[in-house]
Order: sequence, then C-alpha cells, then structure tokens
Amino acid sequence: MEPAIRVARLCKTFSVPERDPGVRAALAALFHRKTREVTAVVDVSLEIASGEIVGFLGPNGAGKTTTLKVLSGLLHPTSGDVRVLGHVPAMRETAYLCEIALVMGNRNQLQWDIPVADSFLLHRTIYRIPWADFRRRRDELVALLELEDLLRKPVRNLSLGERMRAELAASLLHAPRVLFFDEPTLGLDVVMQKRMREFVAEYNRRHGATILLTSHYMADVSTLCRRVIVIHRGRICFDGDLETLSDEVAAYKEIWVTLGEPADLSMYGEIRSCDGVRIALRVPKASAPGVTARLLQNHPVLDLTVEDPPLEDVIEMAFRAGPSAPDVAPPSEDRVR
Amino acid sequence: MHVVRVVLAFLRVAALNELQYRANFVLQLIQSLLALGTGLVILALVFDQVTDLNGWTHPQILAVMGVHVMMGGLIQMVIQPNILQFMADIEEGTFDYVLTRPVDAQLLVSIRSFRIWQATDVLVGAVVLIIAVTRPGHAVEPATAMLFAASFLVGWAMLYSVWLILATTAFWFVHVDQIVDLLNGFYQAGRWPVGIYPGWLRHGLTFLVPLAYAITVPAEVLTSKVSAGAVAGAAAFAVVLVALARWFWRAGLRRYASASS
Repeated sequence: MEPAIRVARLCKTFSVPERDPGVRAALAALFHRKTREVTAVVDVSLEIASGEIVGFLGPNGAGKTTTLKVLSGLLHPTSGDVRVLGHVPAMRETAYLCEIALVMGNRNQLQWDIPVADSFLLHRTIYRIPWADFRRRRDELVALLELEDLLRKPVRNLSLGERMRAELAASLLHAPRVLFFDEPTLGLDVVMQKRMREFVAEYNRRHGATILLTSHYMADVSTLCRRVIVIHRGRICFDGDLETLSDEVAAYKEIWVTLGEPADLSMYGEIRSCDGVRIALRVPKASAPGVTARLLQNHPVLDLTVEDPPLEDVIEMAFRAGPSAPDVAPPSEDRVR
Repeated sequence: MHVVRVVLAFLRVAALNELQYRANFVLQLIQSLLALGTGLVILALVFDQVTDLNGWTHPQILAVMGVHVMMGGLIQMVIQPNILQFMADIEEGTFDYVLTRPVDAQLLVSIRSFRIWQATDVLVGAVVLIIAVTRPGHAVEPATAMLFAASFLVGWAMLYSVWLILATTAFWFVHVDQIVDLLNGFYQAGRWPVGIYPGWLRHGLTFLVPLAYAITVPAEVLTSKVSAGAVAGAAAFAVVLVALARWFWRAGLRRYASASS
C-alpha cells in the first residue's frame, strides 16, 4: 500500500538577515543588508504508513517544525520530493488541504471574540462539510474533549487548556486523514496533557488517521508513538521503534537498590546517585543480570529494581550522537524535558 | 458558489464581532459626520471665492467628495482591516493557518476582517453623491447609473490591487506597516478632482496610486464629463493591475519563510 507520507532527499534552506548589535550596525543595515544561508533540513528521507503515529524528535532548531511545515504545504522545499496522500504539498491543492490538519501548540486559529460554536460553523463553511457530517463529528468531538460547557463562550474567555481542546476539535471537524501536531501539549498542565494524549490515541484508533507529532514532552512520545524519527542539525539520525532506539543508543540499565546497611557498590558499575542505603547504579545491558545476581548474593538487599534508562536520557544521547550515531557516553544530570 | 459562501461566512463573523461593540457604531457615525462636515465647510469656503476649479463646478466637486467618502468607507471597511491583519499574521506567525485552509490564500487574506461600522461612511458618501447629482429636471439615466457602478467597481479593484501589491512586500521585508499611513495620506489627495493638480502629480495619481480612476472618473461619469470609452480604458488598466497583484502575491507566497515555532 502506498505510504501516507513519502519524503525523498528533502532539503530546505533559508536566507536569514543578520547584523551586529547596536545602533550603528542597525543604520548600516539600512543600506547594506547581510544575509546568511541557513540549512534547516538536509537530505531527509522517510515514509510513514497510513494510520501510524510517529514521534518526530529533535532539539530546538533541529528542523522538526520546518519539516512539518513543508509536509503541510506552508513552505516550498529547496529540493527533494515530498508526497502526502499522493499530493505535492507545496501545490496546496484544495483536495489536499481538505485531507490534512495542522495543530500547533500555543497558536490560535479560532475566532478570538466570538463563541467556539460560531468558529466551528465558520470551519464547516470553509471545509464544505455537509451538515449531517458536521453535526455528527462535532457531537463526537465535543463528547470526547468535554467541550459542552465551552461552546457558547468566546475563545478569549477560555483557559489555555480549554482553548487547546477547542482548537483540536476545530482541526478535526473535516475528518482529516493526516494530522501534523507541532508541540500540541505545549504549556498545558499535566492533567490536560494526559487528556490530550488519550484523545489523540482514541482518535487514531477510531479513525485510522496518520499522525506526525513533534513534542519535547517524553510522555507524549512514549504514550503515543511506537515509532520515532530523531532529527538533529537537519539530518535524520534515527528512524525506528523506541526499544531499538534505546538498544542502539543507550545500551545500559539502571539498577536501583535499597540496602540494609551502607556499602560501596562502585565495583559493580557507575554510581549515579547514593543516598546512604539507596543507591542507583548504571551498568551495561549485557551485564545487568550478573550484577543483579551478585548484589543479591553479597549484600542485604531490601529492594531492587532494574529499569531501562529514562527516555529523556535516551533521546539526549541520540541528539548528541547526531546523524552518524556512534556510541556515546550516557548523559550527566541535565536532561531533556 | 463556495467563494460566495465563504465571503458571507466571514461577513457573518465580522457582524458577530462588531455587534459586541455597539459603541463603535455611534462613534463611527459621529466620526463620519465630522469628517464630512469639515470637507463641506472647506468646499463652501473655496466656492465662496471662485465659481469653478479648473472647470469643475460646486456640484461636480461635491460629487467627487461623495465618491471619495464612499470609496474611503469601503477601503476602511474591507481593504485596510484585512491588509493590517495580514501584516500582523506575517509578523506573528499566524499566517501559517491561512495557508492550511482549502481556500485561495489571497481571497482568504482579503475577506477575513470586515469593519462593519465603516459602512456608515459608504452610506454618508452615497447621500452626498445623490444630493450632488440629482437636481430638478436633471435625473440620472439608468445607463449612466450602471456606468457609474462599473467605473466604481473598476476603481475599487485598482485600489485593492495597489494595497495588495504593497502589502505583499511583507513576505520580503516583514515590517511594512507604514504603507497604511502612506496610502491613507495619498488617498486624501483624491478628495479633489485629479485634474486640478499639476501635471506630475496628476500622472502619479493616475498611474501610481490610481485615485483618478477610483474617484474622479466615477464622479465624471455621473456629471457627464467622461465617456464609456474612458471607463473601458480604465477597466483595461484595472485588469492589468489585478493580474500584476495576483502574480506578485504568488511570488510572495513562494518566498514565504514562516515564523519561528
């Protein structure tokens, strides 16, 4: 089956003005403007099957949003071939735009001063949604996102969480087949983030929509995405499932052990933290079973857990590895959010 | 048909927005009447001293004033609010959502914002125009009225195109808010028939900022100072301007770099 999204050797460069700080430099720039070529995306190739939810990860400035904007037709590629549902996004054909939705965290597309319900009606007209379909989808989305009490309120009177739910509903009224989520949970509290994730998963389950999601919240990724694409400095450095990412990039386990009495466990592995009797060890994956057995044999262990490294650490290591992805040392205390 | 529905949908939204701010209607009416009153006083002062201005009589200049107020009302009601919103969208990054809609981006950018209460200017201008051109024994023929409507539409299309061309430069320069003040400044010159100005200014107000076609020519149609042929020539010029605006707009869209995430 034809993939929903196919990208082959995508490149995107921008010409960005720059100048030194200060009034003199600003005046000089009036007459002689300097620009710099910035390469945002280099040689990106990927395919996403229909119905997949894929996490698109990378540090700030990696090229995630640029790629998303090329896929949604906002930007013209500098070079490369991009197809979404068989369409060339940059052509911005009506048929294509009726099949996609772009949701950007903390950005507003609803009409600010009028009730949410009126924004939904405007959306119906723009997308030519038949009345019967509109009512059915609106009712489904209102129920899933608990918007009953918000429909009659002007958007400017909603909290951020309420507004994002309304934005999400508006984006889905035309039943898009491909959804581009650019940090959709940005700025939301933990409860709202969880609700949004549950909604996205349920929507995907019910309607089989293909979803490409960028987020800096690892819970978004770990909950929703089996597959992740990691991009850094404009290049893809990993494309696969989360378990494989963890195996390839972070080949270690974390062992949390609570002892009956303090002891020096440095001979077993790297001490990550030590709080008297509660110690965290980092050991290579292959040696984790042996280390566990020796700890239990040689020390009075009250509690012991063996965990995979936190996803934040794995992603950070993938970022640091970069496009060539050699093995790297585990991160220190600063973590990806 | 879909285009008409979308325009009507945005008109409805604009009405819903404006109806929340009823004081604006009263304020707008007061402002329109004040501006008109000032213009009429100046006109009366001028014609106290002369009987005509370069061949233009008092009723004829009053007709120009009526068209000027009507056209100004349409600009303030439709063109300016949409251009201002477009420029704000480019700066703030909210233009992205315009491009994801299955509606032509130029159309969407041109109809998203209406300032309904500016329609008071259109009504006030129409009243002045009717007073200027209808005198006992001198009714306006239906054919003349239709030619006037056509020339008014042509003039409006030209002004819209000039506004759009200048606003499109935002794709390159981002901050181009000053064009609004610039165009509004030029627009004040259209209060008087373009023919009274010196040659260089007359040509500028004909071909650069086509106030001659937008204001003077429609008034000339109603006061029998111009023929259908002249209106046809204006229409041809309008087609060129509209095509140029469209081409430039599409070039700007290709250049669009979006704002930071």
